[in-house]
Amino acid sequence: MQALAIPDAENLHARRPRLWGWVLLAPLVAWLVAFVVVPMVILFGYSFCTRDDLGRVVFSFTLENYGRVFDPIYLRILGRSIGFAAVTTVLCVAIGYPVAWYIARQPERIRDKLLLLVMIPFWTSFLIRTYAWIAILKNEGLLNGMLQYVGLISAPLPLLYTPAAVLIGLVYAYLPFMILPIYGSAEKLDNALVEAAHDLGAGPMRAFSEVIIPLTWPGITAGMLLVFVPAIGMFAITDLMGGAQVPMIGNVIQNQFFRARNAPFGAALGVVFTLMFVLAYALVHRRASRTR
Amino acid sequence: MSTRIVRSLVGAFLALTFSLAASAASKELNLFAWSEYVPQSVLDGFTKSTGIKVNYETFASGEEMLAKLLAGGTAYDLIQPPDYIAEALIKNKLLVPLDYKKLPRFKNLLPAFLKMPHDPEQKYTIPYMASTVGIVVNSERVKEPVTGIKDLFSPKYKGRIVTVDDGRELVTAALYVLGYPLNDINAKNLKEARPLLAQWIKLIKLFDSDSPKTALLNGDVDLGYVWGGEAALLWNENKKFIYVLPKEGAHQFVDVLAVPKGAKNSDAAHAFIDYLLRPEVSKIISDEFPYTNPNGEARKLLSPEQLANPASYPKDTRKLDTFRHLGDSGAMIDELITDLKNAK
Amino acid sequence: MPTPVSSSSRFQLPSGLKLMNAALGGWTVLVFAFLYLPIAVLVIYSFNTSRLNIVWEGFTFDWYARVWQDTRLMRALQNSLIVATVTTTASVVIGTVGAWLLHRYRYRFSHAIQTLIAVPMIMPEIVMGISLLIFFTTLSVELGFFTVIVAHTTFCFPFVLVAVQARLHGLDPSLEEAALDLGATPIRAFWLVIVPCLKPAILSGGLMAFTLSMDELIVTFFTSSAQSATLPLLVFGMAKVGLNPMLNALSALFILATVAFVLFTEHLRRMSRR
Repeated sequence: MQALAIPDAENLHARRPRLWGWVLLAPLVAWLVAFVVVPMVILFGYSFCTRDDLGRVVFSFTLENYGRVFDPIYLRILGRSIGFAAVTTVLCVAIGYPVAWYIARQPERIRDKLLLLVMIPFWTSFLIRTYAWIAILKNEGLLNGMLQYVGLISAPLPLLYTPAAVLIGLVYAYLPFMILPIYGSAEKLDNALVEAAHDLGAGPMRAFSEVIIPLTWPGITAGMLLVFVPAIGMFAITDLMGGAQVPMIGNVIQNQFFRARNAPFGAALGVVFTLMFVLAYALVHRRASRTR
Repeated sequence: MSTRIVRSLVGAFLALTFSLAASAASKELNLFAWSEYVPQSVLDGFTKSTGIKVNYETFASGEEMLAKLLAGGTAYDLIQPPDYIAEALIKNKLLVPLDYKKLPRFKNLLPAFLKMPHDPEQKYTIPYMASTVGIVVNSERVKEPVTGIKDLFSPKYKGRIVTVDDGRELVTAALYVLGYPLNDINAKNLKEARPLLAQWIKLIKLFDSDSPKTALLNGDVDLGYVWGGEAALLWNENKKFIYVLPKEGAHQFVDVLAVPKGAKNSDAAHAFIDYLLRPEVSKIISDEFPYTNPNGEARKLLSPEQLANPASYPKDTRKLDTFRHLGDSGAMIDELITDLKNAK
Repeated sequence: MPTPVSSSSRFQLPSGLKLMNAALGGWTVLVFAFLYLPIAVLVIYSFNTSRLNIVWEGFTFDWYARVWQDTRLMRALQNSLIVATVTTTASVVIGTVGAWLLHRYRYRFSHAIQTLIAVPMIMPEIVMGISLLIFFTTLSVELGFFTVIVAHTTFCFPFVLVAVQARLHGLDPSLEEAALDLGATPIRAFWLVIVPCLKPAILSGGLMAFTLSMDELIVTFFTSSAQSATLPLLVFGMAKVGLNPMLNALSALFILATVAFVLFTEHLRRMSRR
């Protein structure tokens, strides 16, 4: 099995682009330069500046902001954010994979509809959805009521405002972003392939681990990317369902721009955070294309 | 194929932007205010009586407003900052002095809300609504009297407290307990406040600035250190939620109206302020949002029940403190609270 | 490209696979229950008489009648739909074409482009929002639908691109070659052969882009004007005075309308086939 592969690095049939290849790519590159590179450059510039007492950026040169970024406080917060994102990703794969696979095996007519059904709950407002979870998890809520009715517990379990509630919220929010990409690559597999593996004497478990997983691996890696990466910066769910008891890296960065009115330090945090990610991504990417 | 689609999409965007830009005539007022703070019926009434259309753009925190205002982009005619941000804007010469000739209804305001520390000459700002920060107690679950911050942060209430998620409010509470004025925020005082805050943060079940009432109403917590507006809504919902101004000291905040530099339609801004000062209009705002109304004439129109709400109109008559502009010590507070929460 | 599912094989599943299929089906039902549990609660609370809508007080249909009259709510919903629809369209075009080009050609900067595409997913919303606002202000671009849509597309299209890339991985290269051998131009070959193969991934990516756009708060705050404010801006502001059941009613109606729309289009398709 290949390492965590960025899905496309290994197309051996890829050719050198000629005129059209470049012309068609130009809009994408222009977009990235205008709306990703330029903002990053602005931010990079800010990170060396100071501020006035209103929080406006004052143009001067200082490395002080970067000196603070590597304070153990912030590294610990980053570690916590990555930890929550990692657990969320693993749970999403475990819960979402069978669903994606099952949907992909349905007749075409039903498939699209099931896919849409996965996404529709998320077309309600985030806050309303989260408040519904609060109504479910609170002390006198649905879940505690049911557990007490069945007699499993005698006193309400404190569920809300705990790390468990945060994980429920995170898995709920990101599950579709795992199911959809996996579906995208599972859909093209033929049942005949699975059966062939079975006919050759492989049990369902072996067929699964030796045939199905490798063939849907691009979908899994795509899903992991789409869940893990945004989940690192997520803090609205931690705030609402976890009671904002511990800071996440997203809170810390946002607070610099708002409450602390220290945009240059926020910019430095943002730059380091983004660069760390870019480095990690580039490393994984390079290794993925070298293992071939 | 794709380029054609992209081209037509870009064309559509541009057409949309230009058509919106073209419609911005002088008969419009660009208002940048707290979300859900100016009732739709008030906006409609103003348009009906003056013909001026109001573009109500919203923010959810004073800091958000400041960040967007300073970055530029839209030329706002009227903004609604909290007092300490208004003070900072005045200091940095970012507000335009008001023309009181255009505000005949200014006299409706109560003197207690005028010439406050953020605008000592009353040159730049008009108070819109005020409130306090205080203690809410669910009296069905908490039988002992809770009269101050020290009572609130007692170890016996561990896991039963909600507070606003705002470093400065927590630090203010600590300074009150230590006996310091709430605006004396410096390294020495913060160092003294640190152990106190560290102990409190362990007792707090959740921090919520947007809707601390949720956890109280749900019964997940029994005590809170919250905005007066939240407490007023709770009292309207159920009289078991008692509001207390802490005996150590209480902080009052005022949201004001002000005209920022670069405003294109200052006349409309004045007309709107004066419209808001009409007693019958101000009453509509009080009906929607149970904050403290600084308009004396409007208060005469309120129902006895509205005036009896202890969170909107505290019986306590002692002098309340207001936040002053801090300058860059805000970063010190943020660092302290982040550090303490992180250690939790 | 193999045909998705051969119907003959589905009825001759060996017993081990049948068992596995049943287990998978059961699991899927459970996961759907998880996804719809809060939605059910949300719908129930749309009939709540309490304006604060935190605890249940009593039953009423009132909010459903009032939601239509709330012009600001309807306007915000309309804005959200405009922004999300245009964002999704733009993201699907950019994401699909981009994924295909990066798959088809080996550019000198492929790695760099690939990494840049992922950056909007990691960049904190606040950083993106403020830097885009500064960027637009510097160029004197007036804030409005255009700026919101550009900002949304920037963080939405990577989701489409990544989903489509996963699908392209292992795509039979002879497919396009066959089309080219038959005399199709590369663009026609892409449209007629590749796009249909990518359809499931495009659909997945488009759904993700639409959902992300509908839910975005911070980036929208910094790039929108009063006229282009979306639903999340309104809803987050309402938390302070209580998320009244009207919002639940709106959500319930929106879901109902979507489901009805899906069933209706299916019905139309079936009618036209007859």
